[in-house]
Amino acid sequence: MILSGELIHFGNITKEFFGIRALAGITLSMPSGQIVGLVGENGAGKSTLMNVLGGVFAPDAGSMIWQGRPYSPEGPADATREGIAFIHQELNLFGNLSIADNLFIDGFPRVRRLGVLKRGTANRLARQRLEAVALECPVNTPVENLTPGEQQLVEIARALGRNARLIILDEPTSSLTQNERERLFGLMNELRKGGCTLVFISHNLDEVLRMSDRIVVMRDGCVVSTGEKREYTVERMITDMVGRQINNLYPEKTSRASEEVLLRVEGLSRSGTVDDVSFVLHRGEILGLFGLMGSGRTELARILFGLDSFSAGNLEAIGRPLGGHKPAKSISRGLAFVTENRRDEGLLMEGTIESNVALAALRRRAFSRWSVWIRGGAIRERTLRTAGELRLHAADLRRQPARNLSGGNQQKAVIAKWLLTEPKILILDEPTRGIDIGAKYEIYTIMNNLAAEGAGILFISSELEELAATCDRILVMSNGRIHGEFSRGAFDEKAILEAAFEGLRIGGTKR
Amino acid sequence: MSGSGKKHTIVLAALRNTPLILFVLLFVCFGILTPDFFRYQSIENAVKQASYIGIVATGMAFVLLTGGIDLSVGSNMYLSTVAAGLCIQRFGLPGWAAFTVCIGVGIVFAATNALIITRLRVIPFIATLATMVAGRGLGRMLLQSRAISYPEAITSIGSARLWGVPYPIVLFAAILAAAWIMLHRTQWGRQIYAVGYNMEAARKAGINTVRISATAYVLCGAFASLGGFVSVAQLGNVNTGFGRGSEFDAIAAAVLGGISLFGGIGSIFPGVLLGAVMIQLVSTGLVSARVDLYLHSMISATIIFAAVAIDSRRTILLEKLQQRRIQIE
Amino acid sequence: MSHLRKRITTACGWLLADHFILVLTVVFFLVMWRIYPSMGGARNLANISSNMWPLLTLVIGQMFVLLVGGIDLSQTSIMAVTSVTGSMIMTLRLDPARFQDNPLWGVVLSESGGLLAGHVLAVPTAVILMLTIGACIGLINGLAVARLRMPPFMVTLVTMSFFSGFAIYLTRSENIMHLPESFIVIGRGGLGPVPYAMMIAFLTAVAAWTILNRMVLGRWIYAVGINRKTAVVSGVPCAGVIVAAYVFSGLCATSAAILYSARLEAGRPTLGQHLLLDVIGAAVIGGISLFGGKGKVRWAVYGVAFFVVLDNSLNKMPLNFYAVDIIKGAVILMAAVLDVLRNLLSQRSPARAGA
Repeated sequence: MILSGELIHFGNITKEFFGIRALAGITLSMPSGQIVGLVGENGAGKSTLMNVLGGVFAPDAGSMIWQGRPYSPEGPADATREGIAFIHQELNLFGNLSIADNLFIDGFPRVRRLGVLKRGTANRLARQRLEAVALECPVNTPVENLTPGEQQLVEIARALGRNARLIILDEPTSSLTQNERERLFGLMNELRKGGCTLVFISHNLDEVLRMSDRIVVMRDGCVVSTGEKREYTVERMITDMVGRQINNLYPEKTSRASEEVLLRVEGLSRSGTVDDVSFVLHRGEILGLFGLMGSGRTELARILFGLDSFSAGNLEAIGRPLGGHKPAKSISRGLAFVTENRRDEGLLMEGTIESNVALAALRRRAFSRWSVWIRGGAIRERTLRTAGELRLHAADLRRQPARNLSGGNQQKAVIAKWLLTEPKILILDEPTRGIDIGAKYEIYTIMNNLAAEGAGILFISSELEELAATCDRILVMSNGRIHGEFSRGAFDEKAILEAAFEGLRIGGTKR
Repeated sequence: MSGSGKKHTIVLAALRNTPLILFVLLFVCFGILTPDFFRYQSIENAVKQASYIGIVATGMAFVLLTGGIDLSVGSNMYLSTVAAGLCIQRFGLPGWAAFTVCIGVGIVFAATNALIITRLRVIPFIATLATMVAGRGLGRMLLQSRAISYPEAITSIGSARLWGVPYPIVLFAAILAAAWIMLHRTQWGRQIYAVGYNMEAARKAGINTVRISATAYVLCGAFASLGGFVSVAQLGNVNTGFGRGSEFDAIAAAVLGGISLFGGIGSIFPGVLLGAVMIQLVSTGLVSARVDLYLHSMISATIIFAAVAIDSRRTILLEKLQQRRIQIE
Repeated sequence: MSHLRKRITTACGWLLADHFILVLTVVFFLVMWRIYPSMGGARNLANISSNMWPLLTLVIGQMFVLLVGGIDLSQTSIMAVTSVTGSMIMTLRLDPARFQDNPLWGVVLSESGGLLAGHVLAVPTAVILMLTIGACIGLINGLAVARLRMPPFMVTLVTMSFFSGFAIYLTRSENIMHLPESFIVIGRGGLGPVPYAMMIAFLTAVAAWTILNRMVLGRWIYAVGINRKTAVVSGVPCAGVIVAAYVFSGLCATSAAILYSARLEAGRPTLGQHLLLDVIGAAVIGGISLFGGKGKVRWAVYGVAFFVVLDNSLNKMPLNFYAVDIIKGAVILMAAVLDVLRNLLSQRSPARAGA
């Protein structure tokens, strides 16, 4: 039944890829002027459904009604013309061009006949668009100089410029600072008041619950449930998403910190990045490192691992000093580093899963003779075993490329790679970003087990909740310095957040 | 602004204008080595001889900016000028008609490239490699190993002047200006940069990437044939080796001028101008300094190596400096 | 019945995907043989064979560089320089009329030949010198790309220009003839029916295969080519790997120079000038990616076979001398288009699922 006031109606949409059902008969409608939260695990079909809406894929069966008329776009351009905007996780902006150029790249104001741009008009209109999204920035700034949060606003401004009636936001908050998140939410409310419909896809269920008017839960290509916000709690969303009762988001903590020091850091500094950082990491300990975006946590991790150098201070790993080192030396000392962007720095996307998993441990005696000749059988066997332990499910470890794995499995592949190096000190930078509930639980379990077996873990995250649930201690970093240390049992959220904001000048640190 | 902040700005400014600084350095060096060098005549000669490569390099810049490459420009130059020359010899066509034939052939050649790359989806490197071979073969077949000389009417253009400036330089300047306007003041130009930066994103943004790529290649071919014509007008004839290696000269000129081989980065002015003239300058300078002819290509190569090395250094440093720095109080 | 069909489809898919170029080459050869019976003759086959070996050596070297995401345009000038310098050591006699103006006349060269003319160790020394020079040029290329972070295209373009000019400078454009018999035999002779050239090419291929498939270095090479950043974080010594790839390419170019110089019985400053196209064309047609991280030794072999058969058949055709180039260009194009088609098909077929 199609009711008036409905912006979009999906009628029995089906889509298959290589014989796998991505969407199995979706029937759904969304009214205008609302924020619809779309949740589901990876592979549930959220992105596919949105891609169908956005004209990237054509459905195998079923129909769509947009603003009361049949709608079957032949490409993204059709969708854009109708007023549907898809803000992807990987933004579609051109870093080498200015904000103004990005806003008008497919339709500049031009002088008739000559086709020459009207720069003045373009700049003026661009400023107007930026005002609508509350972004204060000169319009000729190259987009690559903006923060991810600012870039996102530019994309939204572009969508608005095309008179978007429906805006799909795919994981919009994962790279944003707290301030930027609030700014985005404010903008979302404004847009909703103006009659726009926003589809909010996110793994952060608290945010979804907070912002949405309606919730849609998907699982295995179907809509499992849908309803008003008041009908839902986070627990119910998880249950619907996963299909069974999950009592805890986090596994039971069995590891405990010992007295033995694995990593000792004293007065570590690198100009412009990190200043006088000191801490220790114990055997069996999960040490959290909390901070806002840009506080220097990743930079610290890079220095510890040897990717960047440090200008002052001491570093000691397992009793022996470490300095001027490269990743290879760190690895041989027992360090491991799961970087925050698995696509760019963690995996060889075109490489097979096995070649990825073996990469860091190739020189070990178990996997190569004299560090020169590969022991293929040993690698194969160990990869299989580790994948099993991590519940990394893939059709063919030897031949399947890593890019075909889901986000959670990709992250497990990266962890598998580091496990093969038998690390004693494991640094994890945002390991659960962009991963669904089920996979997150598995990763927390892996961390717990590793710590219980005697490794020391440095867990870097922007999500205080997960740190509080898993860590023995939490360090707070801000502006390149450590501003606080909290022990388990005394994790005071307010104090931690205050420490995270400490050191920032009032008025922000605009570049 | 604090002291270190100011220094930061100066270093950044120096790094951004490296091609210009290099150019001035080279100029001064050669000037010291050979007193004749600073004479207006020799400078004018250098720019005049660099004009044809500059024109070709401008066309190449369009293609490089979209993230592609065109290895066939040398063969394009050859085929176009051969075709035009034959028309003059066989059909007695006047200068302007021959010019049209030349550019026309250049456009058709390039359109073939465009088709192969955009419709048949062959990667630019292979596609233009293949047309490079085929094109030169076709040209040689037409020419049958002879040489064609161009009549007085055309070669006089090579040495004629417009308002005191030699025609080749006028054409080069005109092409540079036109290219700059096209790239910075038209939607097409902005879309070229977008496509070079990220073709997928461009497609999603609604840009007709096929049209953008195709027009870039066609323009490249047109400019190549134009450059060929300008060169022949100065040389007087076309022989079998004409244009061979020009694709590398054009790419070198563009890269020296700051155009990235990966697409999306670089500007025509002053980039390509400096790049093209720099290469020619080195050549002319070596002649003036009476260096052993056999050593020319080695010295030339060394200088270009140094220039590219400095440029690479600069790109790395620029990246580091422009990275967001956490303010530490 | 359908089980059989399935097996045939899978076999076809397998054949088409991995060995496509080989199939193409064989089909092409058979078609040409039908039209020109002399193609299958012993003499012609020997001709094809002797053209394959030096080209294969070059392509294998180029493949290593392509795998790490680079390109080596200087292989041809490495050939020229090494050919010339080696000959200068070995040559038995030099014509004063031609070499008088040479910068090395009286120092290294004289009327009675090169530096070690007639010496029993002349040839081995020359070969070692050649390999060293080839490796050094590769080292320069590799360091410029890995440490100075210069774009490979420009670096090797410049070194190509430099060393080509150097070779011409050293000889003032003259060929160096009268090379000793013990060297020339490399180009002509062999062990029984197996030519030395084939042995050298075979050994190079085996070495390459071993490195890429059995050694840690091979895995590192692929990693660097696919994603350098990931390789760095995973502890791969990227700079060293890149340098190794370019040095290997230089050594391969030198081997090819030895084979060609022996066959042509002279050291030539213009050796290999027109080969660059064939080398890169063969590599890419074979399926080795210009963007790095993708390539196998057997693909190099197939690509070379394709080019050599193509060249050979073009010579047979009663074509206008100049039309040869046109046809060659067209055929390269056709192979590339077929390759694109093949990639499209293999992405769609369920037999390749795992995707």
